[in-house]
Amino acid sequence: MAYPHGELLRSPSVWQPVSAEEAWRLKREIGTGASFVAGGTLLRTQWEAGLAPYPAHMIDLTGVAELSGCGPVDEEDGGWRIGAITTLAQCRSHAGLFAAYPLIMEAARTIAAPAVRNLATIGGNALSRTGDMATALLALDSELLWQNDAGTVLEPLSDWLDRERAGLSGAPGLLIAILLPAACRMPITPNARRRCAFHKVGRREAFIPPVVNVALNVELDGDGAVADIRISAGGGTMIPARLAAAEALVRGRLPDAALLEELHAVVMGEYAPMPDPLVGEDYRRMTAANLAAAALWQASGAGGRGPGEGEKPCC
Amino acid sequence: MIEKTYLSAGRSAPLRIRVNGRETELDVPPSKRLLHVLRDDLGLTGTKRSCEIGRCGACMVLVDGEPVNSCLAMAYQCQSKSVTTIEGLSEDGMTLVQQCFLDEGGYQCGYCTPGMIVSVTALLANDPSPADTDIQEALSGNLCRCTGYGGILRAVKKAIELKREQTG
Ligand SMILES: Cc1cc2nc3c(=O)[nH]c(=O)nc-3n(C[C@H](O)[C@H](O)[C@H](O)COP(=O)(O)OP(=O)(O)OC[C@H]3O[C@@H](n4cnc5c(N)ncnc54)[C@H](O)[C@@H]3O)c2cc1C
Ligand code: FES
Ligand code: FES
Repeated sequence: MAYPHGELLRSPSVWQPVSAEEAWRLKREIGTGASFVAGGTLLRTQWEAGLAPYPAHMIDLTGVAELSGCGPVDEEDGGWRIGAITTLAQCRSHAGLFAAYPLIMEAARTIAAPAVRNLATIGGNALSRTGDMATALLALDSELLWQNDAGTVLEPLSDWLDRERAGLSGAPGLLIAILLPAACRMPITPNARRRCAFHKVGRREAFIPPVVNVALNVELDGDGAVADIRISAGGGTMIPARLAAAEALVRGRLPDAALLEELHAVVMGEYAPMPDPLVGEDYRRMTAANLAAAALWQASGAGGRGPGEGEKPCC
Repeated sequence: MIEKTYLSAGRSAPLRIRVNGRETELDVPPSKRLLHVLRDDLGLTGTKRSCEIGRCGACMVLVDGEPVNSCLAMAYQCQSKSVTTIEGLSEDGMTLVQQCFLDEGGYQCGYCTPGMIVSVTALLANDPSPADTDIQEALSGNLCRCTGYGGILRAVKKAIELKREQTG
């Protein structure tokens, strides 16, 4: 069957490498006319909106062996490795991942809708810079494993986001996997006190990009004081960032009403959204502060169940 | 080595998919959207075209049993997979889910209905007794401009009930 003329002219070539090295070499050789495609869900939005050129060459990543798989790195290390092409649907339903890092599932369930999540990948979301998953991964001290000209390179997600913020990162390499450290893993013992929460506010309740999102990962000591905490926030076109001043404020203290009020004030000052013609900056600062304070309150146990508890992965 | 994996529009790498149970081979560009393959190449117009960017769910089909927006999936992403459209669901007559949409007024203009039926079918295949929050999540990517969702939710609940009665 012959293609209609226009369809053939517009139709890009699709390359299907099977190794990370081959995928990266293809990208280098073809150059700017080539685009890595994982699920293609974000790209489709960008192509249709004219935000990214429709590529002459697509490099399909779903057959690249090193990019798949999701599980513990090894017995001793205790950390996890999530292959870049792991779908958000898998992140939503993976029982082992949920037990170890519930924040991933909490974030995945707020992203798009189940059918989109069957195509969309965690790598594509993290590299979108403004995705919900990037905020969650930041609160878990994640690292990115890249394939680039230097071979395979490990880089903290926060460093990559800082470079992106400064406009210094250039074209990223091929993302192979996301590594989650053992230090942020949920303890096996039920009485251990690591808690996490992911909150998102959009223009609708569901199926909408974030106006503001906040992720919190906290460990309480025996007295209920904050032993260790990571808070990150994003939303809109802002590249998500850790809230270092907020973290410093609450570390070592009991999350009581007075501290929550102080936290609220600090987040109002520290959270730095990008200009948005539809949603005012004050509103977003206030929203971020509300979400952060609510997350800590819930995580401290004052709000009934700890976030993540009582939730179930969907399979 | 590269040549072997190169699927150019002009070269012969036909799309092989199973559509509603039938093996199908098509000569289409690898980046063509599944939505257009179904509607234009296969004449399966029950799958509806609306936003074409994954935001409405009118184009929902099952790929290997899981719901996927056919406006997002490209032909090469469906290579060797099994696709079920609204036509395929009802090849043996109206399904229980469809009957419940009829009985409970789960539609008005009907444009969103094929997508809704596909999403509900996938939900109930994975979980015969979903909680209200599970139903909301499963249908969060299917928008309806007419019904206000009341009739749709009644239809889903009725389907759950009838399925439960059927299986004892
Ligand atoms: C209807 C709809 C709703 C959405 N809702 C949300 C939402 O609520 N929250 C949210 O965060 N996002 C949302 N998104 C955006 C998007 O779906 C997600 O960000 C998704 O996870 C992107 O993954 P993908 O695999 O589809 O990426 P793709 O579109 O395939 O790729 C995205 C970008 O990353 C690059 N890329 C992908 N993988 C790699 C890799 N391994 N190495 C190097 N580069 C790579 C691509 O070249 C491209 O530039 C939504 C999208 C749609 C269509
Ligand atoms: S047409 Fe596919 S989701 Fe709207
Ligand atoms: S019945 Fe008209 S859009 Fe749903």
